[in-house]
Amino acid sequence: MREILEKVLGDKKNKADYIEIRTEKKEVTTIHFQGKKLEKINCSQQTGGNVRALVKGGWGFVSFNQFDDLEEKVREAIEVASLIGKEESKLAVISPVVEIINRKLDKDFRQVSLREKKNLMENYNSIIMKSNPLIQSSNVIYTDRFSTTYFANSEGSYIEQEKPFLGARFTAIAREGDNVQLASESVGTIKGFKTMERISTKAQKAAFRAVNLLKAQPVEGGEYTVILDQTLGGVFIHEAFGHLSESDFLYEDERMSGLMKLGKKFGSPKLNVVDDGSIPDLLGSAKYDDEGVGTKKNYLIKEGILTGRLHSRETAAKMGEEPTGNARALDYRFKPIVRMTNTYIKNGDTPFKDLLSGIKKGIYAKDCYGGMTTFEMFTFSAGEGFMIRDGEIAEPVKDVVLSGNLFTTLLNIEGVGNDLKMIETGGGCGKAGQSPLPVSFGSPHLRIKKVIVGGR
Amino acid sequence: MEKLLQQASKKVDSAELFRVKSKTVPVNFEVNRLKSIDISESEGKALRVINKGRIGFSSSTGSEGFDSMLEKAAATSEFGSEASFDFPREIKRGGEERKNINIYDKKVEDKSIEEMVKIGEGIIEKVGDFNRKLRCDVTIVKDCNEIEYFNSRGGNFSYNKTAFAYSMMVQQIENQDMLIIYSSIESGKDNLELEELTSEIIENLKWGDKIVSVESGKMPVIFTPKAVLVLILPIISGLNGKMVLKKISPLVAQKNKKLWSDLLTLYSDGTIDFATGSAPFDDEGEEMKRVPLVKKGKIKNFYYDLQTAGIAGAESTGNGLRAGSQSEPAPGISNLVMEEGKISFSEMVKDISEGIVID
Repeated sequence: MREILEKVLGDKKNKADYIEIRTEKKEVTTIHFQGKKLEKINCSQQTGGNVRALVKGGWGFVSFNQFDDLEEKVREAIEVASLIGKEESKLAVISPVVEIINRKLDKDFRQVSLREKKNLMENYNSIIMKSNPLIQSSNVIYTDRFSTTYFANSEGSYIEQEKPFLGARFTAIAREGDNVQLASESVGTIKGFKTMERISTKAQKAAFRAVNLLKAQPVEGGEYTVILDQTLGGVFIHEAFGHLSESDFLYEDERMSGLMKLGKKFGSPKLNVVDDGSIPDLLGSAKYDDEGVGTKKNYLIKEGILTGRLHSRETAAKMGEEPTGNARALDYRFKPIVRMTNTYIKNGDTPFKDLLSGIKKGIYAKDCYGGMTTFEMFTFSAGEGFMIRDGEIAEPVKDVVLSGNLFTTLLNIEGVGNDLKMIETGGGCGKAGQSPLPVSFGSPHLRIKKVIVGGR
Repeated sequence: MEKLLQQASKKVDSAELFRVKSKTVPVNFEVNRLKSIDISESEGKALRVINKGRIGFSSSTGSEGFDSMLEKAAATSEFGSEASFDFPREIKRGGEERKNINIYDKKVEDKSIEEMVKIGEGIIEKVGDFNRKLRCDVTIVKDCNEIEYFNSRGGNFSYNKTAFAYSMMVQQIENQDMLIIYSSIESGKDNLELEELTSEIIENLKWGDKIVSVESGKMPVIFTPKAVLVLILPIISGLNGKMVLKKISPLVAQKNKKLWSDLLTLYSDGTIDFATGSAPFDDEGEEMKRVPLVKKGKIKNFYYDLQTAGIAGAESTGNGLRAGSQSEPAPGISNLVMEEGKISFSEMVKDISEGIVID
């Protein structure tokens, strides 16, 4: 692959300010149980690639499945880039890298038979179905994917990276009369099939939670002190705050870049937020991003002060900052855009029980069932909720929907726990049609005052 | 290809290959200027087999060999559903809906990127003439597809299809208020008029000029064609043969009963010239039809693909559609058509002293 890519790049180098070619091959297996039935079992293979060219600040991009006429694709990319480009090209300078990165798996799923994978998922599915007579239906979706990317650019970089992914999502649907409740648990990993063999507790938990929700009463809407668990805290920091740190969006939005001024106070000194694609073995990790920039630990909020943001080479150059290794593409069909990797709130020093203490009437919100953000406004539905009464966790409640303004909510964080957990799910992050991109997120338990909770 | 499939039938009972080759050119304008042109050329194939009476499936893009696909499809068939159909031997249009369906226009295929850029600039200029301070995002897309289908029982078809679309999102920010308007037009033919798009956007902007607050309570509401889908979607999903078969649909035993207004008549119609979802055949070789789903408030038909119809003891309605070359056929709507009534939009508005329009 290297010779082919370098030859094509060699021929065309001087006709554009920058050219890169990224190709990929991947094998994907999907298994889907619904109720007692095997709904879908599927093996597919994909090969494809793309050319991205930069001419006078304009990008041209061509993606394809057939490699036979790579030179023509490069020509086409340069041609459309020339139509768009009307200014000076800006790219943060990085040194070229040549590296081949292979991954060792804890049980290589490519060597596991389709039957073994199917049997394992069938087993998890029957755990859900048999756990309680109130369980009416289930969904078990398993995916594994082994992808190898080949990256070469006109500056002399050549990087091959193996990117495995395994994911499983368990959904339990419980029913009692007209009351239908649903709970999901999801696991994602890049480590290997061993992880998938150890998740029967997740299947049990999904079923248990769905049945429990049947008993829960709708929460009474109002303003509460809320404790978020590690999952919901992680989702919150990823969705509500993390996306606003993505510079491709920031440098084109005057109002938001004004609100996201570095040096501004965002929270108490206990609040530290980090995005780090260089942590080994997490879902959002890779040694290099999809522009060949090394990943690293980037502080977004340090001791309550906004200190950094996420960049591609282009946004870094345009904003006069350092590249951060956050240009990521879902696959060969897409251009790299600024994305998060592994995003988390660092540990504080308050134990969970101390976070609870002193709350007369509050809510403990766990897991996330969905949500949306529009600029600084957010809404999240908790997957599970409990009342907190006199500093103790009390009865379960449902329909816990949290909403608010990001900036005030961050300032209202009054307690940061000491029990950070990174959450890896089989889903992923979506942006600009590129979904689901593997990411992880995490947080210790967080105590936030004055959160608007809408119930039914 | 036919030869390969003949060979395949030595290993499995029968097999079908579905191939899509497409090229999409989207010209994107962001904040009133040309921003990106991300060309996508794709080629994919899907192999479905019936092996020992069970269905197997595998798909691939790029260069994977037929033998390796066959091996995977045969492997998945071991756990696959029991086939309740076989691939059609003969694929042709017949009956009352024999007419040729037009879905390809060479003028779309030949449209140059420069021409598309000009169209986009024209749209932005037109809306800019109305108000200079708007943020306009515009996309002009052309899409060319080649579809080929063969099966080992001799059935085959192929066709070419084009699509051309203009879409626009306008953002108006004043003080703390943000108004976002989206609209799009689409055709298989090079016959789009940019005024159709811009006049709708401008009309919408005019409506948004004055902001009032609404008090809770009952009042008449008008849904525009764009918004009405929200109301119909649960019905459409409930008429899906697969949902009916699984008894997930609340409409299971409701056929021919009076459920909704006389004014509600719905079709899935894959025979409309140059409409997005039209084609001579669905994605497994059944003739595309105008299928009445709801007539005067009564359910007339559920919609089916071959496998679902087979299990339900019904006929396929020609609604076996694939979400791209990577997936198996499933019941889907070709073009959703709600039959017109007799009252115009302006008459509806005139009739209401206080109400809401949802767009």
